Amino acid sequence: MNFKHKYLFLLPGLLVLLGILIFPIGFTVRLSLSSWDSFFPGLDFIGLENYTRLFTDDPRFWESFQRLSFLSVTTVFLQYTIGFALAHIVWKEILFQRFFRVLFLIPMMTTPVIMTVIWKTVFHESLGPVNDFFSLFGVTPLWLSSEALSKVTVIIVEVWQWTPFMFLLLLAGLLSLPKEPFLAASIDGAGPIRKFVYVTFPLMAPISIGAIIIRLIEASKIMDTVYVLTSGGPGTSSETSSFYIFIKGLREFQFGYSAALSLTYLIIMIISLTIIAKMLVKLMIRS
Amino acid sequence: MAQIKLQNIAHSYNPDATDSKYALKPFDMTWVDGGRYAILGPSGCGKSTMLNIMSGIVKPSEGRLLFDGDDVTDKSTSERNIAQVFQFPVIYGTMTVHDNLAFPLVCRGYDKSFIESKVNEVAEALSLEGLLSQSAKKLTADQKQLISLGRGLVRDNVAAVLMDEPLTVIDPDLKFRLRRKLKEINQKYKSTLIYVTHDQNEAMTFAENIIVMDDGEIVQIGSPAELFERPKTTFVGYFIGAPAMNLFDCDAVGSNAIKFGNVEISTKTDLSAIKNKRLKLGIRSEYLQLVKSAGKNTIHANIESVDDWGNHKLITANFEGSNIKIKVKREVEVPTEKIYLKFPAQNCCVYENEMLIS
Repeated sequence: MNFKHKYLFLLPGLLVLLGILIFPIGFTVRLSLSSWDSFFPGLDFIGLENYTRLFTDDPRFWESFQRLSFLSVTTVFLQYTIGFALAHIVWKEILFQRFFRVLFLIPMMTTPVIMTVIWKTVFHESLGPVNDFFSLFGVTPLWLSSEALSKVTVIIVEVWQWTPFMFLLLLAGLLSLPKEPFLAASIDGAGPIRKFVYVTFPLMAPISIGAIIIRLIEASKIMDTVYVLTSGGPGTSSETSSFYIFIKGLREFQFGYSAALSLTYLIIMIISLTIIAKMLVKLMIRS
Repeated sequence: MAQIKLQNIAHSYNPDATDSKYALKPFDMTWVDGGRYAILGPSGCGKSTMLNIMSGIVKPSEGRLLFDGDDVTDKSTSERNIAQVFQFPVIYGTMTVHDNLAFPLVCRGYDKSFIESKVNEVAEALSLEGLLSQSAKKLTADQKQLISLGRGLVRDNVAAVLMDEPLTVIDPDLKFRLRRKLKEINQKYKSTLIYVTHDQNEAMTFAENIIVMDDGEIVQIGSPAELFERPKTTFVGYFIGAPAMNLFDCDAVGSNAIKFGNVEISTKTDLSAIKNKRLKLGIRSEYLQLVKSAGKNTIHANIESVDDWGNHKLITANFEGSNIKIKVKREVEVPTEKIYLKFPAQNCCVYENEMLIS
């Protein structure tokens, strides 16, 4: 049979794909080779000038990238650890199991920007309840205006907001595990720690890798928390790549340059996440 | 090793429900130390429940479980000193074969030299000695299942090795080898092996004693030969053997004769005390004889089909509305339309209310 008409059925999907994915990427590539900004809007051609500037004359981007790596790896690690612990607690038959399962999910159901505004109030250095508590011990940490602590504050808010997502994926994973390996371990005389190390953790490895990668992709786009909480400050001490790209593109209107930043960011993220995924597979499954 | 006694054991998965139904109806049973048993029955008959009660995974709703006289009903799985092999091989994928076999001993805090000697001994018995340093994850399904078994055997004085359909995922050829290996292990370690299966061939070739279950009840315990020759119920007759036992409605007509259709058939069963005249006659397809002419205990049946099963032929015949299966050697010449079938008296089983009249 002649199946050539199948392309007709594929056309609507392909057109949507072209409109929302392929065209924007193609346009960004073209834009990154232009000097389009608010003074001289237009698609002129300046070759690789934006990229030369990025690699030779923009330490702020690379600093924000290092910061992003630190923040995303730290937050995802904490989310995984806490999420796994919480999932493990409510996986077993405990009192009020359903209540806790819902309770642990609540942060994920809230609007990130609004919750960050609330957290900003909570961490407010002179009016917030956190420093009310710390002032009892004679200290008032600068949660939002210290270079080191502002990053800690961002981490706390991110962990609070997104640990439930990790919890949800890991709980679903735990609930889908077969019973036999646990029964066999009980029969072999393994205690709870050995059961976790030799049964639960290895069986959860594929699900864990999936959850970690999903969260790493999400965490690498961290923007709203930084924007509302610290605006990248003090100075640029909590500025991440996406926030920096946002400043260059939508505040300074350097569209050509921000397109070059975006593409570079995209390529680095694809390469680094691929490497991380392979490392995780090697670390958690093959070993 | 221990004698395992089930005293008035019964189990219901929802004992509090008003219409509570037994998954396992009350029964008593003793498993002799060092015996090789198979629990055989259709899916949902309660065989896995019985196994799980013995291993401690399921706590019985009623009755007591005794290991060498000690009541272990409330004891946890790890306190019972039993080994269990599941349907799908359970191995610790992050460990080597050696560490897998050593794991139960490591968990129980044995010293290194003892662990080494036991692991080497069991690995040799299971022909795994060449694989000890390999990652357990990379082995084949049968090797993995041997590791599961090995983890039970490394422990001294395991009360019993319980196996819940352990060869389901194994290739037919390997199944045969593994069953032989299990028999060897039973002889070497004198450990009680209890094997759950719904495959009668597996049960028949493995066990000294087979426990046939149906609908939460033990219907017969016996050797493979006993189950084949004298099934205690029509269910056992039907469940054991391929094809199933021929069963026909009949009437008692004398002290040891029944009437099947218009033919009187003598049996070796004493029917003088039987009040119910409506009975069932059971005979294995292997025991029905093709004869040349009419005679005593002989019926004249119409042939419906003849199937070639390779090493034998299976004749399907019809006599007064009843289907009859007859197994004959492949070289036997089968008539095309009608045959005379003889019912040897010693092979006829007579059933009243589905129970064998003994």
